[in-house]
Amino acid sequence: MEIFFQQLVNGLTIGSIYALVALGYTMVYGVLKLINFAHGDLVALSAYIGLVTVMQLMGALSPVLLIIATFIITMILTSLGGLILERAAYRPLRKAPRLSAVVSALGASMIIENGIMLIWGPMPRIFPASAVPNANYNIHGVYISLMQVLVLVISFILMVALYLFVNRTKLGTAMRACAIDQDAARLMGIDVNKVIVTTFIIGSALGAVGGLFIGMYYRGIYFNMGWIYGLNAFVAAIIGGIGNIPGAMLGGMLLGIFNAFIAGYVSSSWSLALTYVLLIVIMILRPTGILGERVAEKV
Amino acid sequence: MRRKGLVGLLAFVVAILFSVSAFAGGFIKIGVQAPITGKFASEGQSIDKAVRLIAKQVNEKGGILGKKIKVISCDDEGKAVKAAICARKLVDAGVIAVIGSYTSTCAEAAEPIYYRAGVLQTSDGTSDTLVKHGYWTFFRNSSPNSAEAKFTAEFFLKKQHYKRIAVISDYSTFSTNLAKAVINDLKKMGGNIVYYGKITSGAQNFTPILTKIKSYSPDVIYFSGYYTDGGLIRAQMVQLGIKADFVGGDSNDNPEFLKLAGKAAVGAYLVNVPLPQMLPYPQAKEFLKAYRETYHENPASIWTLFNVDGLRVILYAVKQTKSLNTKKIAHYLHYELKGFPGITGPISFAPNGERVGSAYMAYRIGPNLKYNIVFKEK
Repeated sequence: MEIFFQQLVNGLTIGSIYALVALGYTMVYGVLKLINFAHGDLVALSAYIGLVTVMQLMGALSPVLLIIATFIITMILTSLGGLILERAAYRPLRKAPRLSAVVSALGASMIIENGIMLIWGPMPRIFPASAVPNANYNIHGVYISLMQVLVLVISFILMVALYLFVNRTKLGTAMRACAIDQDAARLMGIDVNKVIVTTFIIGSALGAVGGLFIGMYYRGIYFNMGWIYGLNAFVAAIIGGIGNIPGAMLGGMLLGIFNAFIAGYVSSSWSLALTYVLLIVIMILRPTGILGERVAEKV
Repeated sequence: MRRKGLVGLLAFVVAILFSVSAFAGGFIKIGVQAPITGKFASEGQSIDKAVRLIAKQVNEKGGILGKKIKVISCDDEGKAVKAAICARKLVDAGVIAVIGSYTSTCAEAAEPIYYRAGVLQTSDGTSDTLVKHGYWTFFRNSSPNSAEAKFTAEFFLKKQHYKRIAVISDYSTFSTNLAKAVINDLKKMGGNIVYYGKITSGAQNFTPILTKIKSYSPDVIYFSGYYTDGGLIRAQMVQLGIKADFVGGDSNDNPEFLKLAGKAAVGAYLVNVPLPQMLPYPQAKEFLKAYRETYHENPASIWTLFNVDGLRVILYAVKQTKSLNTKKIAHYLHYELKGFPGITGPISFAPNGERVGSAYMAYRIGPNLKYNIVFKEK
């Protein structure tokens, strides 16, 4: 039983990170019907921004303030990155065929990845152990670290906040309107560009939190880690139903838990392969993802 | 017809010139085939520098057999194709012996060329296949992977007396082969392996497999992959409250391992050949001092010193046999040389060119992140 709960904790931790990153994919897809392939690399970039911030501020601030400051600065800078990405790579191509935007996204992904490598080098960089909370609790044989608690709690708060924002605020309503029909939204007086920019800012900021969690929880960061995290988060978004915000959260959690349970109860060597088998099964049963609605194809 | 004859004559003259060039110039030519640029540049440059330093030292003392040593380097970039080109170049330059290459792949690609030309070759490559071709020209100056596996098994069963052993590798050839070799040796010695699993290198989240391993309650987890994963495995093991020891294979021995594992690094064990500064032999201390004085830095790693030993032992054999005939030198190295005092320990060679004995050690990482030797080969 301990093992079961331990695997659940393991799965939920990584699942929360996937979910945070997946939100970036799903929100952009919802509004623009575009897979933002550069999102994973933006997450990797945020981890590096976080590392630089921690290194600069370490010693100057108390540990709690240091973490808060790192999160705020990283989220702002990464959002700025998302903003530039939208302006430079996607907006000029908004009227172009879908494939051009996909190629542009892949190009942006490579630019960010190689940019990180050129600036910070190909060697892994490591978050200083002293800058990260490292308490560890043993609850009836289930071990959970303070960092894991932070990952779970902060992710949960952010997801609830996002849900409320999208469903209860004016800007959120505008966002949903744009997702349904951009032209109609424009006719209703919604500033579509502003909505798209907001989507990129929120998606990037959530991704930045995910990137920081990766850096602080696993401590080692790599210039090309955006690929593997991006891929997993993208899969999570699809499992949940791409374009659907609660779906991305659910998908991320499910992916993390599947992975942990397959590794724990079936075979760790096969966990990745079997996780994707499960994904295929879900796709066959529900082609639009678990929470995805059947959308009428625009002709 | 006349022209053909002329060409033939010319070729003959050139051939003679080349074949005697090792003697004619009053030089003993030694080749260095190393990755001087590319991914392993730091290792390759260090090997090149070290060989030149030894040559300088010998020349200052008047050389060997009244001849000075001349070093000719070739950059193989760590690529097999370049290695073959280098081998031809060095053979054409008339070297009697080649130090290199750093990687097993490059050493293996060059082996047949040196063999056909009768040029001695000494490499630090650890791949077991290097000595399996039956080339009398090849001498390994380090220890093969199989020796690491055997040492690890002995460490586990004779020193640590582990009863329940869990093994993890990644999917790379190197790591899987090492893990399999360790498992084989453990089984031969009656070890009890409770778990063997693989991780995806770079996945970062190893808690699921570690939680599973925890349920087997092992007393040791052995990891045969690289430090980037090893450091995280160690950290996550401790975080999950797994009391078992952690033992990492040679590729975990890197300063980054300590950084990634953080506090959890304390108490972890690593198996590797010794660090240069840990070598107890006076000739090692002397060489490291000379290297630092000349280049104002430390050699890149222990591999530089293995290669230096390869060179020293060949030069010693030249002196002993008073000959530049590579056949004679090789015979001496294979059958007569016993326990030459190398920088990396006593050197003798088996008839297949394998270095006899190995210098593996097991370290325990202490509270101040210092390496403490806990077990070594007699």
